[in-house]
Amino acid sequence: MGKRSIVLVALVLVALAALTVPGASQAPLKIGVIQPLSGPVAASGNYIRMGAEIARDWINARGGIAGRKVDLLIEDNKSDPKEAASAAEKLIVRDKVPVIMGAWGSSMTLAAMPKLEEYGVPMVVETSSAASITKRGNPWIFRISPPSEMEALGLEQYVDKLGVKRVDFLAVNTDWGRGAISAFGDMLQKKGAAVGAKEFMDQSATDMNAQLTKIKATGGDTLFLTTAVEQITLVMKQAQEQRLGRKIVTTGGSSSPTQLIKQAGAAAEGSYHIVFFMPWFPEAMPDGKLAKAFVDEWAKRGHPFEGLTEGFRGHDGIATIAEAIKVAGKDEAAAIRDALWKVSLMGVNGPIKFEKDGPAGKESGQSKPSIFVVQIRDGKVALPDFLAKK
Amino acid sequence: MTALGRGLLAAAMVTLPFWLADPYYLHVVIMAGIFGVLALSLNLLLGYAGQLSLGHAAFFGIGAYTSALLTLKREWSFWPALAAAIALAAAAGWIIGRLALKLRGAYFVLVTISFAGVISLVSVNWIELTNGPLGLPGVPAPDLGPWSLRTKAAYYYLVLAAVALSYAVCRRLVRSRIGRAFVALRENEPLAESIGVDVTHYLVLAAVVSAAMAGLGGSLYAHYTRFVSPEVFLFTYTVTMVIMVVAGGKGTLAGPLVGAVLFTALPEALRLAASWQWQMLAYGSLLVLLVFFLPRGIVPQIVASFSGHPRSAPTSRTPLQ
Amino acid sequence: MDQLLQHLVNGLVLGGTYALLGIGLTLIFGLMNVVNFAHGEFYTLGAYVAFAALTLAGVNFIVGILAAIVAGAALGWLCEVTLLRPLRNESIDTTMLVMIGVWIAMQNGELLVWGGVAKSIPHPFPTAPLVMGPVAIAPLRVIVLVLAVGLIASSWLLIHQTKLGRAMRATFQDRDTAALMGVSIGRVHAATFAFGSALASAAGALLGPVFLAYPSMGDLASLKAFSVVILGGLGNLTGATVGGLLLGIAEELGAGYISSGYRDAVGFVIIIMVLVLRPSGLFARQERIG
Repeated sequence: MGKRSIVLVALVLVALAALTVPGASQAPLKIGVIQPLSGPVAASGNYIRMGAEIARDWINARGGIAGRKVDLLIEDNKSDPKEAASAAEKLIVRDKVPVIMGAWGSSMTLAAMPKLEEYGVPMVVETSSAASITKRGNPWIFRISPPSEMEALGLEQYVDKLGVKRVDFLAVNTDWGRGAISAFGDMLQKKGAAVGAKEFMDQSATDMNAQLTKIKATGGDTLFLTTAVEQITLVMKQAQEQRLGRKIVTTGGSSSPTQLIKQAGAAAEGSYHIVFFMPWFPEAMPDGKLAKAFVDEWAKRGHPFEGLTEGFRGHDGIATIAEAIKVAGKDEAAAIRDALWKVSLMGVNGPIKFEKDGPAGKESGQSKPSIFVVQIRDGKVALPDFLAKK
Repeated sequence: MTALGRGLLAAAMVTLPFWLADPYYLHVVIMAGIFGVLALSLNLLLGYAGQLSLGHAAFFGIGAYTSALLTLKREWSFWPALAAAIALAAAAGWIIGRLALKLRGAYFVLVTISFAGVISLVSVNWIELTNGPLGLPGVPAPDLGPWSLRTKAAYYYLVLAAVALSYAVCRRLVRSRIGRAFVALRENEPLAESIGVDVTHYLVLAAVVSAAMAGLGGSLYAHYTRFVSPEVFLFTYTVTMVIMVVAGGKGTLAGPLVGAVLFTALPEALRLAASWQWQMLAYGSLLVLLVFFLPRGIVPQIVASFSGHPRSAPTSRTPLQ
Repeated sequence: MDQLLQHLVNGLVLGGTYALLGIGLTLIFGLMNVVNFAHGEFYTLGAYVAFAALTLAGVNFIVGILAAIVAGAALGWLCEVTLLRPLRNESIDTTMLVMIGVWIAMQNGELLVWGGVAKSIPHPFPTAPLVMGPVAIAPLRVIVLVLAVGLIASSWLLIHQTKLGRAMRATFQDRDTAALMGVSIGRVHAATFAFGSALASAAGALLGPVFLAYPSMGDLASLKAFSVVILGGLGNLTGATVGGLLLGIAEELGAGYISSGYRDAVGFVIIIMVLVLRPSGLFARQERIG
């Protein structure tokens, strides 16, 4: 055999050896986590991982659940639905996890869902916004993030105070962006606002000047913007360069105003942001003490402050699962599923309690998260005037 | 391979669900099989006709969407939907074959990339048809007469049959006059033309057969994962197919299958072997090392080292222009 | 009309950066016959080097760009000598596969080093836009366009006025004859790859401050660079320059007047049309470089 064949055989052996490593000891409680840890949205996935690790460490510091430590088994879905399904399969079959938290994007969650049904394992959905996730009749799904419609309803009370008369939309061309445009469009129309342009941008696009030039021509007063923080930064900078002169409202809770102040600077001034966590004033959150403790722990670990608006989701997801395991009294998938219907706890975002959603008989769980609006004023994050006066 | 070896391999394949009960391994094997079909398909164009298609995910995605849409929206059963998926992908292959008639090498590469790009954008933006970026969840599992192929073991046999069929088609094609025409085309096109090979005809044929097989793979994928979204057109899927073909050994019958098994198992093995930060880094580095030490692919290298002439592996150069 | 002017200006600035990306790739592709999937990663590298130089080392803007150019050239040279040179006689698919591996490894290495959070690269120019009638443009973008034009012009000079450039052109026309005439093919290839990578790196350093630096930023850059190469014809500098500008303007108008969802489709459709109607590129003069 030549030298090259030896290298080849070695490679195959490494692969085989890796496949046959036996599972770890059975003592700790296993929770599976599926997040996009590499690829274009790696930052968000990693913040959620950091939040989940805080929840894990807190639970373990308090002695675990019924004396058993919690162990997170973290898998990367690479922002690819195929990988999300593979990761779910691996976690359920090889690692024997009785419950999963995942899988960030809606298409990743939708791809993992048949696996949950196949093996009967519940998943707590922490980020995905597509309405269809809880409407499909998959009784293993429990969502703590708001679908776009719920978020739009949460904003409805502030529409008049924001002074939205003529609105344009710019959103990332994914289920999230499209869902947000239709939900917020319907809600705003109902409130009597005129809807102008509905523009999209590719997930990886960096130059949005064409869309902005078009939006500028509609003569509206407000721009609703739905995408990840990187693209929001770029849109704000480019809007400033083009003198767009609009009130900007970002939706989806992924805007991380702190990062915007840092990276978009003056271009972010005056913009409004729908968020699900306000780390700038934790005391204003439903459970001020918990929120404060989370912010402090985050800082202590040296995680970037701007990641908090994503990271809390990881904490709340794991806290929800831990509570369910405690209620169930055992780490079996079906028992945890039943227990998830009974949990009622306080997360960093606020109260978590699942309501039935979807076709009768096989409903999914949907919690009703708290929704907040903040504004960037004088280079700082503040409550908008109409809220601060309360 | 000796007759005994072949027999053992066939027996192992047929009995696999009985001795590999772990559903996770079975899942990896099924994915390897689906990608095996895709790699065989790409190999026809790349390995035999010498044309690199970097838009192969388009044919795969067209197959997946056709099958998913027909079973979901028109409530067709699996088998006619599968046939339609193959037919539509083949039609797309015909279009590409005709479009790219005069193009070779790098230019063919770019037409195929662009074609896949356009199709992918259509899948995202034509909401009424494709449901847009949200994708199509709930694609039904296939039936065979009274039996549902819902279980992994049953689906394994379906995929195994598809791999065997694709392999047989490739083998038949390659060893026929058509296959010799492909190779003549790849090695020296003007010469092939001068001895009366109808270049146009054979290139279009290669594209059509290759696309049809990719459509088959797409349909199998859709009914296995039960979910289709515009991500099926991701460039990384095409890249994965290319890796499988070239690393396995292009222009050989077994190479793409070896590549498909190895490069489906590798990311999963890395999942188990390394924490997530290192997985893709290791994947890229291993790929570089593999190509560096086995530039002609695994199968040709093994053939060469067993026949005792390490340098006698058949080479095939894809001319650039 | 006002809108049209703004769209044209946007397209021009965007196109200038596409051109810069395309030139590096067209040399590598045309001269070395390497389908360089890692081209975009050198773009990313440039952005991160500029970020490190400007924020961590605190040097001035131009020095930051020079640092990126040097880093791109050095890594490109290393890549050619260690990975591509031993495989020079293998087929185009083999080298392509190596570059795919480099692409995946570099991108995930960047993710490991810098994390997934986008970095904002500081620059010393005012953010208030320059306003000319109906058209507004940020000063930074003007600077970037000027520097890009400067880099394109120096590339042209290098190819046409230096001994190395002459060797490169000879190698492109006929590698074997050039070798017989005493051109060191190894050195020409190393220089070409280093030069092409340095240009991509420079593009990253220039555009980093306009946009943001993040690990997957190179994917889009690679795609655009390939499009530009094909529009302009392999190994054709002028073609790549004009092709880049055309692509930028076409995308901008497509997104402005047709549909923003199909923005990138405009580029793809143009490429297919060009290839079907004029298979060797819009500006093809067969077998030329320069």
